[in-house]
Amino acid sequence: MDHFPLSWGRPRNEAVDLYSTYPIHERQRHGQQHDAFAEGVQRTQQPLVTGTSVLALKYKDGIMMAADCLASYGSLARFKDITRLHAVGQYTLIGAGGDMSDFQYLQHLLNDLMIDEYTSDDGHKLGPDEIYHYLSQVMYARRTKMNPLWNTMLVGGFKDGQSFMGYVDLLGTTYTASTLASGYGAYIAQPLLRKAVEGRETTLTEEQARAIIQECMKVLFYRDARSLNKYQIATVTERGVEIGDAISSDTEWAFAEKIAGYGGQP
Amino acid sequence: MADGHQHPIEHRFNPYAENGGTVLAIAGADFAVIAGDTRQTEGYSIQTRYAPKVFKLTDRAVLAVNGFQADCSEFVKRVMQRIEWYRHAHSKQMPLKAIARMIQTMLYGKRFFPYYTYNILGGIEEDGTGAVYSFDPVGSYEREACRAAGAASSLIQPFLDNQIYFKNQTPAPGAAPFVPGNLPIDVVLPIVIDSFTSATERHIEVGDGLEMFVVVAKGRDVSQLASLNAEEIPATNPGEERVFIVRRELKKD
Amino acid sequence: MFLTRSEYDRGVNTFSPEGRLFQVEYAIEAIKLGSTTVGIRTPTGVVLGVEKRVQSPLLESSSIEKIMEIDTHLGCAMSGLTADARTMIDHARVTSQNHAFTFDEKIKVESVTQAVCDLALRFGESMENEDAMMSRPFGVALLIAGIDELGPQLYHTDPSGTFVKYEAKAIGSGSEAAQAELQDKYHKSMEIKDAQILTLRVLKQVMEEKLDQHNVQLAQVTVERGFEILSDAQLKEAIDAM
Repeated sequence: MDHFPLSWGRPRNEAVDLYSTYPIHERQRHGQQHDAFAEGVQRTQQPLVTGTSVLALKYKDGIMMAADCLASYGSLARFKDITRLHAVGQYTLIGAGGDMSDFQYLQHLLNDLMIDEYTSDDGHKLGPDEIYHYLSQVMYARRTKMNPLWNTMLVGGFKDGQSFMGYVDLLGTTYTASTLASGYGAYIAQPLLRKAVEGRETTLTEEQARAIIQECMKVLFYRDARSLNKYQIATVTERGVEIGDAISSDTEWAFAEKIAGYGGQP
Repeated sequence: MADGHQHPIEHRFNPYAENGGTVLAIAGADFAVIAGDTRQTEGYSIQTRYAPKVFKLTDRAVLAVNGFQADCSEFVKRVMQRIEWYRHAHSKQMPLKAIARMIQTMLYGKRFFPYYTYNILGGIEEDGTGAVYSFDPVGSYEREACRAAGAASSLIQPFLDNQIYFKNQTPAPGAAPFVPGNLPIDVVLPIVIDSFTSATERHIEVGDGLEMFVVVAKGRDVSQLASLNAEEIPATNPGEERVFIVRRELKKD
Repeated sequence: MFLTRSEYDRGVNTFSPEGRLFQVEYAIEAIKLGSTTVGIRTPTGVVLGVEKRVQSPLLESSSIEKIMEIDTHLGCAMSGLTADARTMIDHARVTSQNHAFTFDEKIKVESVTQAVCDLALRFGESMENEDAMMSRPFGVALLIAGIDELGPQLYHTDPSGTFVKYEAKAIGSGSEAAQAELQDKYHKSMEIKDAQILTLRVLKQVMEEKLDQHNVQLAQVTVERGFEILSDAQLKEAIDAM
């Protein structure tokens, strides 16, 4: 006899157990279908077409996020008009680095989720916090199956007068902070963002925030070989999600002629 | 290649990361202190300056968890869920030693794909004594007077061995022998704070903020906590054990 | 009740128009055919007593097993189709061991009773793909005795999966007379010895045969010693004291 009450009266097919409610341990299921092609299934072992850094910060009206328009194929700048910022409902924005096909899959997943939520029409609207937790569960579940979605994502949003910013990656690692930067931006832009933003989250104006983001995107374009001087800035505020058109920064390359060899040699 | 054979470079997805930070717990006769810093790192980067690692489970149990952040938060969620199910099934709060054993079974249940988490459980036992249980990632556990885990455990544990277990100390001639686990709270809390300020100095993954949870036995005097700006976390069963939290800044460099 | 017999008394999972599950009610009737079983709670422990019907002088009375241990702190006496009780006690034992393994503590008496009762309504047709269930309700009632942090407790379970806590309870064929006697003689501050004697007296009253150490069995759960079935010598001593 099976002595675990929570496995009584259950259909034996695990696919039917929507909520994974097995409490004690993963139970051996009888009659589980063997996938004859399991050997041939390939998992994502490395990202192919990739996006680089995403930046985000909090300011007094909400949050601001930026990502460039490049999707690289290795070191080849393959697609130069890609949008890596994606609105989820009216309160939430996600920005993704890493594998672009995995990101597109996640966009579909989130769209389906939002449609399900919309059709249920229960008066609840998913906010950034809920999207963040949903995404982190998806990412953690996939890493646990050793079949990760190869992305680092920033989730930003503004709902009920509250700003939200969180990070989720392919391992399911999560955290929240008032400045976020993924990929190369974590090394190059994050210190600049922290210096400019920490302690000023509730006073920075949109113009100031935009100036900080633009400065960081410019520095990243100078230093990150997988970046592009064509990027979008988006905000989430009381007005909802607004993703801007692609813009570029003015850059100065005159000094480059004077560089000889490695480092500044005379 | 030298041998004339082309080998594809084997890339295997590594499902784990190490997110720095450090936690510790010290038991007193009728209280327990469970503390952790709030920095979260990956490699040389600070991911965030505030990621809590210490969680109140019940009115008398607090869990500190350290290691791979995604596993940590998953594990804590599951522990909390099991504690609630237990409350519904048995109409009582889960006792500390029961939580300890349950954590061991949960960790060992993933023996072959472990949660990369170091857990320290602190609180008050059924007999009213302060207790600390420490775990390894696959569930080995024991009750102790104190324990440090995480990035700076190798810096803090020897200090605790000396200060809490009185290792390498000799009682003054004629004085009573040392008994670990009986230090008063106004001695223990400065030891905790000093442990973290020192670890912050010497370990790059430790710093930013400190959260100290103090669990006190039923009816115990808590006047010493007032001077520390301790904030009480409302209890589900008033008049029984109480949980306080003390927050401190740590250096952010 | 047999006047309302209709096609509804066959399906185990079909309510009658009056809202009754006949098979469950019949199962409860089955207990009234069983031998009398008595349980008494005292401040220091719980006593269980059963009548063993020795139908033939050739029958080894020691082979009649109507009181069983669930765990060191839990015991159980039964009346009705005792074979059905094996499934329930097996489940109770596993549940208790599993609780001790997972939580490093003794399971509460109420929890183990609840676990047993969870089994009671698992009869009927199973859905496709579902694990096979039992074809009919259990035909047995249990008196579950035990001690936990809430002190000594006595629970009664029946085939409907209902459980109730009692100070003293009698089940089985002589239960009506026995319960009346218990109501008359029980008091809250009984010693365990008094409870043993009262159990024997109640059994003696409802038994057809003359009561002796071969046709009754006593067991107790005490704070000091946990669950134990009284040895022949202890039983004889109690009978002599009666």
